[in-house]
Amino acid sequence: MSTPKKALLLIGSAKPKGESSSEALANHLTERLRTRGMTTQTWHVAMAMRTPAQTREFLQAVDQADTLVLAFPLYVDSLPYLATLALERIAAHRQTQAEPAPGSFLAIANCGFPEVAHNATAIAICKQFSEEAGYAWAGGLALGMGGAIAGRALSEVGGMAHNVIAALDLAAEAIAQGIAVPEEAITLMAKPFIPITGYMLMGDIGWLVEARRHHVLTRLGARPYQNEP
Amino acid sequence: MNATILNGALAGDRFVDAVAGAIQAALQTQGWHVRPWHLADEKLAFCLGCFECWTKTPGLCRIDDAGREVAESLIQSDLAIFVTPITFGGYSSALKKAVDRVIPLISPFFQRIDGEVHHHARYARYPALFGLGVLPKSHPIQAEIFDTLISRNAINLHAPAHGSRVIARDQDPITVAGELTQILSREALA
Repeated sequence: MSTPKKALLLIGSAKPKGESSSEALANHLTERLRTRGMTTQTWHVAMAMRTPAQTREFLQAVDQADTLVLAFPLYVDSLPYLATLALERIAAHRQTQAEPAPGSFLAIANCGFPEVAHNATAIAICKQFSEEAGYAWAGGLALGMGGAIAGRALSEVGGMAHNVIAALDLAAEAIAQGIAVPEEAITLMAKPFIPITGYMLMGDIGWLVEARRHHVLTRLGARPYQNEP
Repeated sequence: MNATILNGALAGDRFVDAVAGAIQAALQTQGWHVRPWHLADEKLAFCLGCFECWTKTPGLCRIDDAGREVAESLIQSDLAIFVTPITFGGYSSALKKAVDRVIPLISPFFQRIDGEVHHHARYARYPALFGLGVLPKSHPIQAEIFDTLISRNAINLHAPAHGSRVIARDQDPITVAGELTQILSREALA
């Protein structure tokens, strides 16, 4: 495989631009790819799937990319709807081509649970997509405790993000060389930021703070669909 | 006994529609009250990931559309059946859009289940979950991903029991539905 020159980064979060941890991860990778001489283009999945015309434009960008990177949050144990739809569209598009352009596919998953293992099914889905769409599988980086990034740039997260940054740096190096991301990158990405009990506590406090801000602290356990006595 | 069928057929997929219809008919024959959802036809927005259903309008999605009705239908059922063409081992986009909208049914707070962190239940009871995935032809890797996904959803959606089956498109929908009702009985899902 020749040395990749163009990378297309697809942000799989439905959150507005600048607010998702998926985008923060993709942005760091983008910066590192550029320093290695690659050109990059970033699409948000909500934009890519918004209208048929925008989807066509997005698929043209897919055709021109040597590497496709999908960064997404875990929704109910797998990829969010919009990311699922995008993968369906990309695979269908490439399957209609007699000879789809060679390229590689990298998945970057993050979840709000502390354990990285929650992402395993979503990564398996991405790997299967990679095969069906005719990509070389560049690997799957999975992150737990995504709530600790909370959409901030990794440079603003502090020391907690040290391993994540190191993992993305290794991934960028591999992509630029046209090879799969090394196990070391996957291992670094999977390292927890803090002890699980501490993350659980911080998470629960975070929900309480948000609920208080919205004046629903006493109604957090509401059961609006309960029809039993 | 109430059952909700979430049919994730993509537009024009007559086979998946036929399977979902046959399951509905088989359950109704056994006395079930069935609420079928043909998701591709529903006005259903995608989840925005805002978490307001946890921290601003607890238990209720901010988007007032069929997504709320799907969630209500599920939580008021004894059995939820996901019927879907398998997409890379997972759910179709049509089914995934609906499944993403059910998080108002659970609580934001963390708990450990079998040593792993998940969210607390919001309700006292949840439906059993059964997944029926359709593949063009046998594909063990995708079937394994699908079975795992159903198992993981069952944990996170607090299903008291769960099961799954993957079929190929050359199978007869009515036969599949008949076998499925036997599986539901045998595995105490229904």
